[in-house]
Amino acid sequence: MPSIVARVADVVRRHPQRVAIVGDDRRIRYAEFWAEALHFARALRARGLRPGERVAILLPNRIEAAVACYGCWLAGGIAAPLNVQARARDFEAWLRHCDARHIVYEHSHGDAVEAILKIDAYNGHAPIERWPIGADRPLSPHDAASASADNIDIDIDANAIAADDAALILYTSGTTGAPKGVTLTHGNLLANACAVVRYLELSERDSVLSILAFYYAYGASVLHTHLLSGGCVVLAQNLLFPHLLMDTIARERITGFSGVPSTYALLLERVKLIDYDLSSLRYLTQAGGAMSAVLTRRLRNALPDARLFVMYGQTEATSRLTWLPPERLDEKIGSVGIPVDGVELRIECEDGREADIDETGDIHVRGANVMRGYWNNPDASASVLRDGWLRTGDMGHVDADGYLYIDGRRSDMIKTGAHRVHPNDIEDVIHEVPGVSEVAVVGIDDHVLGQVVKAFIVAPGLPPQSDNMIKAHCRERLASYKIPREIEFVSALPRTASGKVRRAALLEPQTIP
Amino acid sequence: MQRQKQSHRIKQYILKNFLFSNDDSAIGDQDSLVRGGILDSTGIYELIMFIEEEFKFTIAPEEMTPDNFDTLEVIDAFIDRKLAG
Repeated sequence: MPSIVARVADVVRRHPQRVAIVGDDRRIRYAEFWAEALHFARALRARGLRPGERVAILLPNRIEAAVACYGCWLAGGIAAPLNVQARARDFEAWLRHCDARHIVYEHSHGDAVEAILKIDAYNGHAPIERWPIGADRPLSPHDAASASADNIDIDIDANAIAADDAALILYTSGTTGAPKGVTLTHGNLLANACAVVRYLELSERDSVLSILAFYYAYGASVLHTHLLSGGCVVLAQNLLFPHLLMDTIARERITGFSGVPSTYALLLERVKLIDYDLSSLRYLTQAGGAMSAVLTRRLRNALPDARLFVMYGQTEATSRLTWLPPERLDEKIGSVGIPVDGVELRIECEDGREADIDETGDIHVRGANVMRGYWNNPDASASVLRDGWLRTGDMGHVDADGYLYIDGRRSDMIKTGAHRVHPNDIEDVIHEVPGVSEVAVVGIDDHVLGQVVKAFIVAPGLPPQSDNMIKAHCRERLASYKIPREIEFVSALPRTASGKVRRAALLEPQTIP
Repeated sequence: MQRQKQSHRIKQYILKNFLFSNDDSAIGDQDSLVRGGILDSTGIYELIMFIEEEFKFTIAPEEMTPDNFDTLEVIDAFIDRKLAG
């Protein structure tokens, strides 16, 4: 079976009555989930989807997001889940870049509608096929028109999907230059999901509370690994009301929970975990950046019976690259563990030789989970892929037992909460403000979110206290987590001899000219 | 009159701190603060601290629900109930 789709089809045959997903006041069993996915697949084909065409999915975590993804795959399409928190300019760029022929979105999402209208107004070919959904508008209604699609002789066969077929495009940056759409095959997804299932020992007895967005690699991995195992995925939108999440864990007898460091920081800070019956929790996973030893210890003290899996990964490698066996957490504190099944690690020094034990170098990885490249962006692909190896952009070392430690990152990417932010996306938007002559964006430490965005701006022509005006400008054009939390006006930016901004120097106030 | 003032204070706080705007029409009384991306996991606590300081009462964790905080209208009704009671 070369794909997750075929494997989930097998789960459906074996456990049709098991609950697959809980969300939006619905509990959907595997048989219903599959029937809806098949129905959507047929409807997509009936409305012209051809194999390999892209279906954009612009939805928060809700049952329809999973149905749309599996329906797209069953129809032979490539799913492109887009970050719902982004704004119209991002959607427009992404939709154009992957040339989406279909889009699934909430009909009330103004930015999605704006982007579709703009594309349709200037497109040379047929309009994008729209699949708006809402409280009274299901993804693919079982009305007379769509029933006819079910009757069309459309061959839907999960086993027809090949491992080399592209399955997913995940955009990791905004609109600056050519967008980077990580293109993952069905083989990538299956290899990585199977590796995760093995070390987490997932089975049909597991149910996970999922707060991580499916349009991110980590959230997608949580969804697919649990469906592959015949488990149950319970959806929650966010961390705004953390005690409601704890209520859900207790009520649904949740066995697994996945988060980034800020998830656990928020939970420990704002909820008295002892007030809830969390005895069903079998495992916790943590990825998305280093979690401090103090926070790790607090988490383990608060939930001593749940096994804590520290992990490391990248979207370009589908999701997971390494995992730290929980039993070795104390001994290997600070490590992100050993490679997952099928992944090879290589630490490369600047001179190209393989690093010695404990010697820091660039982390390269190879395996069946490594992407085929960035969608329609051969230059970006060539810059990170060479001879089957992926250059992660992270620095690290491996100890004598083969455990990896992350020592830093070469790129300027900011990690805020569960989000990754490229400074250029924000700098471009701030540059649009009349009077701004220079801008540089960095991540500054935040005790809960890990980092928040700070902008250093040179704008001699702007009146004092223009920061709110700039934030309002950003709010119109950027996802809310990209709006600078802090703005500092400076007379000049520190630069190298070649003129490049020295972002590291911006984090040391005394060096700012 | 009192109610109007209370509602106005919350709206002005949200406009200034989350929308960076003076435009009253930027947010409606029934607009979802959560789905609209106006409140995030840290913003909700900033708003709660503001309400606690402004109206001199304490908000219990179990009162932090979408039913009490998702729109200006429900926040207003929640504050009314707390003040009354």
